[in-house]
Amino acid sequence: MSLLETRSLSIGYSQKTAPQKVLQKDVSLSISPGEIISLMGQNGVGKTTFVKTISGLIPKLGGEVYYQNDQLEDLSANDLARRLSIVLTEKPYSHNISVLELIAIGRHPYSNWMGVLRAQDKEAIDWAINETHINYLADKKLYELSDGQLQKVMIARALAQETDLIILDEPAAHLDLYNKIEVMTLLRNIAQKGKGILISTHDMQISTQLSDKLWLFNFNEPVQQGAPEDLILDGTLEKTLYLQDYGYDMIHGSIHIGMPENGTSVALEGPEDVLFWTNQALRRNGIKISQSADTIISCSQREWIVRSSESSQHYTSIGELLTYFG
Amino acid sequence: MITQFLEASQNKWTKVLIGLAVVLVLCFLINVALGSVTIPFESLIGFITSGSSGQASWDMILSNFRLPKAITAMLVGSALGVSGLQMQTLFRNPLAGPYILGISSGAGLGVAIAIFLGFYLGGFLELSGIGRSWLLVASAGAGSFLVLLIISLAATRLKDSITLLIIGLMFGAAAGALVSILQFFSQAENIQAYVIWSFGSLGSLSWSELYVFIPVILIGLLGSVLLSKPLNTLLLGENYAISLGLNIKKIRLLIIINTAILAGTVTAFCGPIAFFGVALPHLTRMLFNTSNHLLLTPLIILFGSGLMLIFDFIAQLPGMEATLPINAVTALFGAPFVIYILLRKKNLNYAYQS
Repeated sequence: MSLLETRSLSIGYSQKTAPQKVLQKDVSLSISPGEIISLMGQNGVGKTTFVKTISGLIPKLGGEVYYQNDQLEDLSANDLARRLSIVLTEKPYSHNISVLELIAIGRHPYSNWMGVLRAQDKEAIDWAINETHINYLADKKLYELSDGQLQKVMIARALAQETDLIILDEPAAHLDLYNKIEVMTLLRNIAQKGKGILISTHDMQISTQLSDKLWLFNFNEPVQQGAPEDLILDGTLEKTLYLQDYGYDMIHGSIHIGMPENGTSVALEGPEDVLFWTNQALRRNGIKISQSADTIISCSQREWIVRSSESSQHYTSIGELLTYFG
Repeated sequence: MITQFLEASQNKWTKVLIGLAVVLVLCFLINVALGSVTIPFESLIGFITSGSSGQASWDMILSNFRLPKAITAMLVGSALGVSGLQMQTLFRNPLAGPYILGISSGAGLGVAIAIFLGFYLGGFLELSGIGRSWLLVASAGAGSFLVLLIISLAATRLKDSITLLIIGLMFGAAAGALVSILQFFSQAENIQAYVIWSFGSLGSLSWSELYVFIPVILIGLLGSVLLSKPLNTLLLGENYAISLGLNIKKIRLLIIINTAILAGTVTAFCGPIAFFGVALPHLTRMLFNTSNHLLLTPLIILFGSGLMLIFDFIAQLPGMEATLPINAVTALFGAPFVIYILLRKKNLNYAYQS
């Protein structure tokens, strides 16, 4: 059974004076327990509108949204808060509450009018804190945390809300690589516990390496979905994100920043890692890599030899090598 | 492991609250005992326990002047404090206070109309005693109720809380302008009566007024305790609050009504007491280092009551016949205190992200 399902959903804005502005129509998607799905598309294509629509913040224009067997309209605000939790990019307004207090606010849909925590609330908070490995932060104030720590705390808060579905907006924005990997590992572990995770993101690593599925939103085209690898191989991802002009490197999953080629072309040989980075440096400088070129660069761990018909020169770093090409 | 943390913090806060309550009782006793006439402590205890201090004149002073004033001071302090807190959290603005939505301006306009127009109809100045004070209460109450009504109507229509804040400010400006026009066409005695009202006063309430004042403020304070949990979710921002199942329009309306009841009633009975409602939430957050409303609300009620008792004590220094306007005392002694703590803490990090 899917945690969330949309059937022929239309999203957009209805205005009093102007006609409806439909951003996406006929959106039929579903998310199952254990799945991580990335929602991608260009700015303005309707990702945020979609998230707001399924979380009941703005009305849908048509179609249906189901949470398990219940229609979104039939759920009260409190019921919905027990099915869906969110992690936004916006920071909490007050930073003078402790991590524990913040996570306890996640129990809002369950606790009584005084916010008194019962045994099951404490268990949920305890579980959320253990799951996110933030025990050592429990009595810290929010203003004492780094961005990476705060993000984990916000995820813990969502976990404490005990919902089957969690929506995250750019969960790795502002995070350094180490923290990003930690958050990604964390999300993977949470999904393994049977939760559904929907991420709205522009981050290629999160969408292609972490996610089980991509939902691609396009202008004036139906929504595409599938495993990230399939969508990369058939060119859909490239097309959706308008990367054709820059060239999506399907093998390495990265984008080449296009520089006009300056007419020079070289052939490259050597071990894979050195080759990869030499290649990148040369392309950045507008040099075409072609195995049939007359100039050949032989790379090894510490040495680059440029051989042409006239000369042969040695370099000990990529920085030096680039001086050869002026 | 969490249970441990929770128990430790619960124990700590229980101690803090009990300590504050003890301090409050002390403040109350000192406030009641000292004044133009000093009443010995034993006599005071006698009065509280058996109803008589041993001297008829002391009994009269205590029951007719000191007790009503001390009770008024405590209720005013806590009411202004919690309504200021509610406005600051609702509008995410450190400068917000109980009067930010124009409640005191509405009350001021009501009073101005009663005094200045009343002069032409029959004469406000001729009214004396009870009649005069009830007229002030009724007109100030009507003015703030009108503002509440308009702001609530706006609140049910608007999505954005900040827009509401601007509407409130506009109201304040418009009401202030009307008051100036009324003043411009009035005579000196009427203007003086209005200015004296605007100074604020804790000592003018008789028991007949207190019978209305006490229950209304207590209901308002109870409301603010009940609103603590939804206010906590607003600490995360409105989007998070909604995702936690909060009906933002309903809660916003309840908060506005609650603030209007507290601040409106205080203004109606005691005049517009400025500064206190803006400064007290900051002071409490800084001193007790928390923004958790489940703690802040009781802390502010206790701390606000005690602090207002102290300000009232300062306003009427022992041995002096005259009483300083309470408005002047709260700002004069409160502002340096807030500045001192701010400088010591360097920034507003305690309450807002820097």
